[in-house]
Amino acid sequence: MTAIADPLSKKKKIIRTRNYLKKYWTLYAMLLLPIVYFIIFKYIPMTYIQIAFKKYSIVKSPWEMPWAGNHGFEYFIKAFSNRDFLFALRNTIMLNFLDLLVGFPAPIILAILLNELPYKRFKRFTQTVAYMPHFLSWIIVSGLAVQLLAPTSGLINIVLNRLGFGSIPFLNDSAHWVWTYVLLGVWKSVGWNTIIYLAALTNIDPQLYEAAAIDGAGRLRSIWHITLPGLRPTIITLLILNLGRILGSEFDRPYALSNNLVNNVSNVIATFIYTNGIRGLQFSLTTAVGLFQSVVCVIFLFAANALAKKFGERGVW
Amino acid sequence: MRKNRSVVLSTLLIALLLTACFSGTILSASKFPELDANGRFLKTRSITVEIYDRGNPGGSKPEDNFFTNWIKEGMLRDHNVKVTFVPVPRWTEVDVLNNLLAAGDAPDVCVTYSYPTILTYANMGGVLDLSPYLTDEYKELFPDLWDFLGERFLLWNQDPVNGTVWAIEARLAQNKRINTFVREDWLKKLNLPEPRSLEEFENMLRAFKKNANLLLGKDADKMIPYTTSYDIGWRNEHLFTSFVPESITDKEMYINGFDDRRLLWPGIKEGVRVLNKWYNEGLIWKDFPLYGPGDGTEDNNMKAGYVGAFMHNWDYPYRNGKDSIHYQLQQMAGPDAAFIAVEPFKNDAGIYRKYLAPGNDRKVFFPATNDEPLASMLYVNWITKLENRRFLQIGVEGTNHKVLADGSIQNIAATGDMIMNSLQNIDYTITINGLDLGDPVLTAKSVALGYDLVDKSFIEKAYQLTDNNARYTPYYNVGEIKAEEGMGPALDEKRDNFLVQAVVAKPQDFDKVFDAGMQDYLRSGGQAIIDERRAKYEAFYE
Repeated sequence: MTAIADPLSKKKKIIRTRNYLKKYWTLYAMLLLPIVYFIIFKYIPMTYIQIAFKKYSIVKSPWEMPWAGNHGFEYFIKAFSNRDFLFALRNTIMLNFLDLLVGFPAPIILAILLNELPYKRFKRFTQTVAYMPHFLSWIIVSGLAVQLLAPTSGLINIVLNRLGFGSIPFLNDSAHWVWTYVLLGVWKSVGWNTIIYLAALTNIDPQLYEAAAIDGAGRLRSIWHITLPGLRPTIITLLILNLGRILGSEFDRPYALSNNLVNNVSNVIATFIYTNGIRGLQFSLTTAVGLFQSVVCVIFLFAANALAKKFGERGVW
Repeated sequence: MRKNRSVVLSTLLIALLLTACFSGTILSASKFPELDANGRFLKTRSITVEIYDRGNPGGSKPEDNFFTNWIKEGMLRDHNVKVTFVPVPRWTEVDVLNNLLAAGDAPDVCVTYSYPTILTYANMGGVLDLSPYLTDEYKELFPDLWDFLGERFLLWNQDPVNGTVWAIEARLAQNKRINTFVREDWLKKLNLPEPRSLEEFENMLRAFKKNANLLLGKDADKMIPYTTSYDIGWRNEHLFTSFVPESITDKEMYINGFDDRRLLWPGIKEGVRVLNKWYNEGLIWKDFPLYGPGDGTEDNNMKAGYVGAFMHNWDYPYRNGKDSIHYQLQQMAGPDAAFIAVEPFKNDAGIYRKYLAPGNDRKVFFPATNDEPLASMLYVNWITKLENRRFLQIGVEGTNHKVLADGSIQNIAATGDMIMNSLQNIDYTITINGLDLGDPVLTAKSVALGYDLVDKSFIEKAYQLTDNNARYTPYYNVGEIKAEEGMGPALDEKRDNFLVQAVVAKPQDFDKVFDAGMQDYLRSGGQAIIDERRAKYEAFYE
């Protein structure tokens, strides 16, 4: 088909587009604000990524700063030959992986348990109580943790001592600290994270459960064959997003919970950046680290999404 | 009528002339065109000044109270400069200042204890070079600075090669550091003498522990014979430096002097080993590693009366009036309870040696965003003027202090707007830390009186012991040590980490933990700093 042979349909297309815009322009106008937000607060600051490849100066614009040595990769080389960074990298992966292992299934289990509760009032009450910790900052949680878990003055250890047991070094021994860290994370986020699963559960057709009951399926059977498959798309989506964060790290959680005895496991990339970048003023070095972190996260996100699609799931996009 | 008017006019004229004479500076108009003959700006200028916010319970707003208003009025009157104060949290000052500098929002006059921070920003072009204002040409504008700080402190940081001055140093009026404190009433109860040796000190701690029931009654299980914090180096320094050989040279002190906790000095490890022994004997507060900077738990233990001994800033238990450890302890544990300074640790030559810093203090600098350097310098000079800093340090008679018969000044704890948020308002007197009344004898007498609610004898003893047998660490101006740039926070963190770990290690693991930590410290930049300091020292001084 040539362009000349088809003048009418082209005209039609234009009219259709015009009508479409006339009808929906308000929706596009509403989209404008978020787009402006993203441009100003997300894309323009990205020009500062160059700091990773340049010698930082507080008074120059990033475009004027001189390039760093080794074709601009000086700070990446410096980071990867820095033992503290490598430890931070290891700890970030370890803590995030454990978080995923323990913290990811927890809300699914809690959501299913809540879903099985016959007394709606009790269910709602439990749900609300479980949400609560989400609204506490990590600073408060760490304060509570010290009050409860300190070896001699912590409430739990005092009770243990009174019962004739020794103190458990929840916070002052590296191995124990890791589990305290992971479990406090679960405690804080499990209730909040069930919300999305509970929402997904309401979408499951109740007729399925009725049919299963008629066919003689018990509670566990129907959970296995109806509830879990019903949750599967949600689980997969959240898993992909979580895998995308495997190298990302929160700052306040490890920083607030850490102390001088457990730094060998509590130093993560975020705290490394804080100590060396913000406090040590090595902005180029830590921008390089941050960039590396983001790139790996994006790779993980894409890989996980591709894998999910390969197994016949919908993926995130 | 006409006669009257001329009388009024002539009186006015004489008054004007007199004030001009009293304000002291009659300047030649041609040299400083923006100033009049009295050093006032012809047009009003505005500057911002950093002020520490200590967040004291019951304190006033550090940027807006009686004293800041007094400064503002004075600067407007004497120099036609409007001053605005910018509060910066005291305990996170370096971090907050970093953020302000990076954002270009730093106050025109900045104060910090961290010279490396200033140097890093200076290397990025973020700090103003003060050397043009420290020339003979400007001397007549800043007579008080030259008089009080002099060349030593004004040009302390002058680069030996290119002459830049990124910051001027404040003076430490009382060059004091730390003291070792023990519970005087416990010593009496147990019939123990004041410890005069490491062995006696240890036996005292053991006696505290053994007699917990006698000393604390039903709270016996809360007994803490000795307390320390995560800041091992600072909080145990008298113990540690007693293991430093008397023969240490000035050069050694300097080369290994990057860490202000003396970590790199010879002998320190043996001091840490003693602490490790105490910890494993159960003589030290077990939970200390869990509490970070600014946490009040340890102070509360002292106030509650559970603590037998500790080391801290030379006047630590006596500071802060009603909130002081001394006062609170007496409320909780009875009027006899008190911490007293002792001197138990002698070195290999049998001397109770104390190592003190060279007498400089905070650093005052102007960020590059400061477009009123002259007004800012006039501010720094104004705040250095004896009558001004004297007023700020002692406040209003009757409210903040009373004058005793011998002329010495006794502090009164004021409340409300007249409260001093820092002892002697040191946060406002940025070029001096500590009391200076212009007369050394009067100053020494008054310092001892400066602690409201604390008996003079406690202060006098602490004052005397803290610099008894003092040796001052030398200062060598070799310019910038490149290897130190940006390393401070990371190395400090490493130091605190491995010292804490070494203290709580099992005795048989002590060497392993300490050596591994030290090796890591040296490998992560510590050794490079030592090497560069040695090379520069040898280049400039040998």
